[in-house]
Amino acid sequence: MTRALPPAREAFVLPALFLTVAGAGGLRVSPAGGAMSFVPPPLITLVLAVLLLGVMARAGLLIPSGLLGDHRTGLENANGVVVLLSLFAASAQLFTCLTPDAGVLRLIFNLFFLFLLWNTLAAQPDRTRLLRSLFVVFGWAYVVRYVALAALADPQAGWTRGMLTVRLEGASSGPIAGEATAPLAGYVAFATVALYMTGLGLLPRPAPSAAVALVATRAPDLLE
Amino acid sequence: MGPVREVLVRVAGLVFAAAYAAFIVSVYARQPRTVQQLASGMAASVGAYRVDPVNFQEGLRFFRADQFIEARAAFERADPARQDAPTQFYIAYSFYRQGWGRLYHDDPLYRQGLEVVDRAIARAPGGRLVVPDPNLQMHTADELRAELQRGLARELSDLSPMKVFAERK
Repeated sequence: MTRALPPAREAFVLPALFLTVAGAGGLRVSPAGGAMSFVPPPLITLVLAVLLLGVMARAGLLIPSGLLGDHRTGLENANGVVVLLSLFAASAQLFTCLTPDAGVLRLIFNLFFLFLLWNTLAAQPDRTRLLRSLFVVFGWAYVVRYVALAALADPQAGWTRGMLTVRLEGASSGPIAGEATAPLAGYVAFATVALYMTGLGLLPRPAPSAAVALVATRAPDLLE
Repeated sequence: MGPVREVLVRVAGLVFAAAYAAFIVSVYARQPRTVQQLASGMAASVGAYRVDPVNFQEGLRFFRADQFIEARAAFERADPARQDAPTQFYIAYSFYRQGWGRLYHDDPLYRQGLEVVDRAIARAPGGRLVVPDPNLQMHTADELRAELQRGLARELSDLSPMKVFAERK
């Protein structure tokens, strides 16, 4: 059903990538003084991570039989479990990384992720389309959280802040408060998203015959 | 790749993942505030962490001269990762002595002292910390913790005029 992963990729590369994302995802850097803190995943991000893994499994991006099963040895299954657990932790912490820490914006971001994942689950995309979709979703969230909201909170942001304030005028009853972030946090978040997407691209792929069968059921128009 | 080599790679991968995950969990538990604390914490986790003796002695000198702010700065330099229980004990003791007053105690300083002495207890093996310094009247972290807690408590005995004769420990 799946192309076998090289052992080094399954045992080292994927856990290293996902654990790094899990570690860096909760990093917060104070804009005043640069003090670090590490935020554990809030409960809602665990729910979002479960939903995301479900979406990945439905789309064929995550193939559980490629990581676990009777056809694999105990050691191979242990490696597979590590990949799945680290992927879950990384997914939860990626949402933590991309979501504001408090306030209405946090609620809006979480609802946005929830509805978007639900919608994606219903749409049943294939592997490639899901990867593109996640790239857009996480990229959008990154830009809003670390560029737009940071600019709104930064009195030095000048024209960026002015432009955003004008754009958002009338969109809310009061002024939208940004969320101050240290520049370092933005760079770390960018690397975190990039590492996560790289890890997703390295997950086991379906074998060609299985892939054709999957596309035939999910997106038959592609075969025409 | 041969089957033996594949097994070795997979076992090594499991060990690596377990160690890396444990490191990340320990970072989240310790909550380092600076890159220096993070690096020192890594050194401590492999047993390579040492307190800087020069800064520690300087801290002791300030502490004995009742220069508590200077003492804390020196102790922080000596133990940037906040991993050494005796150093943390002296920092907590400095908060106690600075906050102690014949008529009233400085609650914010006592609260900071309590936070630090809790950290010292957490770092001490088995949670038991004894500092045999003859210049101190409290030699264990438990005594210091209890004294700080008593100072923060609001009791009727706080109104007793006899408290004026109490001595700083």
